Amino acid sequence: MDKDFKTKISKALGDDVLRGALGRFGDAYTLARAKAYEGYDFDALSENIVQVKSYAANHIDEMMDQFEKAATARGAKVYRAATAADAKKYVSDLVKKKGIKRIVKSKSMVSEEILLNDDLIADGIDVQETDLGEWIVQLAGQHPSHMVLPAIHMTKEEVATTFSGHLKRVEQPVIAELVKTARVELRKKFLEAEMGISGANIAVAETGTLMMLTNEGNGRLTNTLPPTQVFLVGMEKFVRKFEDAQHIIQALPKSATGQLITSYVTMITGPTPAYYADGTVKDKDFHIVIIDNGRRKMFNDEKFKKTFQCVRCASCLNVCPAFQLLGGHVYGHIYTGGIGTILTNFVNSERDAKNPQNLCLQCGKCSEVCPGKLDIPQMILELRNRMGEKDGIGAAPKFALDVVSNRRLFHSMLRVASLAQLPFSKGQPVIRHLPMFLSGLTEKKSLPTVAKVPFRDVIKKVKQEVKKPKGKVALYAGCLIDFVYPKIGEGIIAGLNEKGYEVIFPDGQSCCGAPATYMGDRKNARKCAVMNIEAMEAEKVDYVVSGCPTCTHALIDSFKELVQDDPTLLARAEELSRKSRDFSKLLFDLGGLPAGGDGVPMKITYHDSCHLKRSMGVFAEPRKILTDTAGVELIEMKESDRCCGFAGSYSIKFPEISGPILDRKMKNIEETGADFVVVDCPGCLMQIGGGLDKKNPKIKVIHTAELLLQKRKKAKMNKK
Amino acid sequence: MGIDKTTALYETFKSKLQVLSGECFRVNTAKEAGELVCKVMKEKGINNVALLNSAISLKGEFVNQISQAGITVYTDHFREVTPEAHAGITQVDYAIAEFGTLIQARNDASVDDRLCSTLIPIHIALVSTATMMPTLAEAMTTIHQLPQIPGFVGFITGPSRTSDIERVLTVGVHGPKQLIVIFVDEQVEGVA
Ligand code: SF4
Repeated sequence: MDKDFKTKISKALGDDVLRGALGRFGDAYTLARAKAYEGYDFDALSENIVQVKSYAANHIDEMMDQFEKAATARGAKVYRAATAADAKKYVSDLVKKKGIKRIVKSKSMVSEEILLNDDLIADGIDVQETDLGEWIVQLAGQHPSHMVLPAIHMTKEEVATTFSGHLKRVEQPVIAELVKTARVELRKKFLEAEMGISGANIAVAETGTLMMLTNEGNGRLTNTLPPTQVFLVGMEKFVRKFEDAQHIIQALPKSATGQLITSYVTMITGPTPAYYADGTVKDKDFHIVIIDNGRRKMFNDEKFKKTFQCVRCASCLNVCPAFQLLGGHVYGHIYTGGIGTILTNFVNSERDAKNPQNLCLQCGKCSEVCPGKLDIPQMILELRNRMGEKDGIGAAPKFALDVVSNRRLFHSMLRVASLAQLPFSKGQPVIRHLPMFLSGLTEKKSLPTVAKVPFRDVIKKVKQEVKKPKGKVALYAGCLIDFVYPKIGEGIIAGLNEKGYEVIFPDGQSCCGAPATYMGDRKNARKCAVMNIEAMEAEKVDYVVSGCPTCTHALIDSFKELVQDDPTLLARAEELSRKSRDFSKLLFDLGGLPAGGDGVPMKITYHDSCHLKRSMGVFAEPRKILTDTAGVELIEMKESDRCCGFAGSYSIKFPEISGPILDRKMKNIEETGADFVVVDCPGCLMQIGGGLDKKNPKIKVIHTAELLLQKRKKAKMNKK
Repeated sequence: MGIDKTTALYETFKSKLQVLSGECFRVNTAKEAGELVCKVMKEKGINNVALLNSAISLKGEFVNQISQAGITVYTDHFREVTPEAHAGITQVDYAIAEFGTLIQARNDASVDDRLCSTLIPIHIALVSTATMMPTLAEAMTTIHQLPQIPGFVGFITGPSRTSDIERVLTVGVHGPKQLIVIFVDEQVEGVA
């Protein structure tokens, strides 16, 4: 990550206007989207999109051939451009050949991608963007910061200044007036334009039809007035059948802007009649340019094939905690946000994606709303890994991760650290660079110290009372429970004992490798996986339990992937995966605890961990267990499943982003009036606990297992 | 379609359109449609209109009715008149109740049809009630089953709009600022 990038980030964070606009939009968007989907089955709709798009992705050449045949039969001229340069040359040659001087464009992200305007303007052509947002951005000499709302980063005052400068007259910052100005000014351009250039949202192979979804009416005008017309179509726009398009027409407006449907859906099949300069009406000169520009490479890559399913609705940006704070421009290229980073990697270059890929928190909120069912965080991780493999991940993090994947070294260092009782913010350089929980940078939160006695020693002294023994559970502690929060481990033992399970602690276990995984160090991640698969010996127990969803996610999903190349290990990893559960899920599956609790009133609110909620779909279970405990009253907070900003090493890499994300969580917590925030993840516990410590020490944060331990132990004591 | 079902679809259409600040009416005959058009135009202070003649407007003798109401009516030279005309009247081919959507799908892809419905600030759309379909899915199939997919198929749902400046909704950008839809129950044969 370079300095310039950090500077861009702090500039964006310092921009109150931008943050205000993005924040307001983020809130309103969530509501509007939910409302638009009322009465519709989002899952079914997105499943349909996945089907039609993945079919096209798997038959891309067939799609293009069919499309070309059908469109040509209707009188279109179809050109396939391998690169941005090819596409630009085709358009520019056409412009020159026909002596065209004036062009109107309706929105086309792919034309932004290939920087078509620059070339045309250099040739002395008058090129006008006509989508209001695009026009504003064009006049301001900028690039769009959002796929759907190009000028979301600008205020009406800035728009007024931009218009005033362009029109050489004073424009007032009144939105209705500014829109009127755009109508009047661009109307002239529409009427005199000789060529129209548009993008398409959908291309239907069997009929050669192009579809565009717009709201302002500029798309209709661009398609109606100029006698020469060019469509620029990215290779990912294809669907096979005409009816296939309906799923995208359904979902795109709902996901993009919370509309049931856009004001206009325009479907063009071949040239349509237009008025020529001499007043005659004839069919247009109609061109379609299909653009590859790195796409084929992306679709041919198994790990990125699903990008074909992206319909460019931008809902993934709208819900992204990092995007909401930073806006689009820090991403550096035309496509912004997580999906933008992936596209940039292929249509621009790997180098261009290197900085922005860091911005992903891996919280998974985007995948939850994606109508194309893309696992964006997984793809970002894949980029990160490939970059890590190619260029290394930097000396300091590399050393830290080498330490972590060496159990003995790591654990003895932790013990030394605990003896020294140093708050880690003032620790030695080695420790400062250890990933995750061992770092400083504590502007917004205080960090816990390492426990005096690690859990691996605590458990040896715990007396396990198992009345009617049913089986054995291996506890996987993970670094945070083992060395920072051993009490959580005690809570897990107590809960499972009560259900009839003895809990064992396989000594050879160590870090789950998540720090390495999320920093793009696949080698060290694999080392951790192997170490733990061997240590846990899942074959010998009924279940493997963990109190950290990040670890559970590693046990269930990551290990399998990391050892894919080794059939013996893979078989063991699969067994481990099958038997692993997060604590609250396991307790729930075992039927929960019998009625109990001290009955003392306790007002709690619950924070969903990203991994628990979205990787494992567990959110009802802990709530049920908690509210079954006598005395506990649950008050839901707003956005309970919004990331707390910890995200492992993220809070170290980007304290300036993690901080404001935590602030928002604090606000939501405080609004509930609860005295306790309950979490199921020690990472969240640390992040939220640190924040509360600084801001509102009256509210305490506690892990589900620990709460049960407290409330139920007391109950037992009361009975005595 | 049964009367009840038609009415239910009409009500759905109307409520969806009204949310988007479109106006929606239903009349029995083409003649009544003409009367309504005159009334609406008078109320809105429209004094000239581009009329692309269609089955309904011919049957309803729109040209006569509108002229008699003292409003100038243009029926040709649309490329010249539409940029300045106060309103445009066209007949659309289908409607979708699900969203309050109109569909233009003429097999000649008439450019005048697009000019009269796009360049003018107020679009008055006539639609035969019988062409109403409940859902998008049905509309897609219907269009696909036409002998040939028309060169231009346009869905129109409410007036044009933008939220590009500070996410504030503004109705009326490049396309019409107002959309008035009139459903006509009387079956009128002939070209749309
Ligand atoms: S990745 Fe999904 S959510 Fe993001 S723009 Fe594409 S379709 Fe929309």
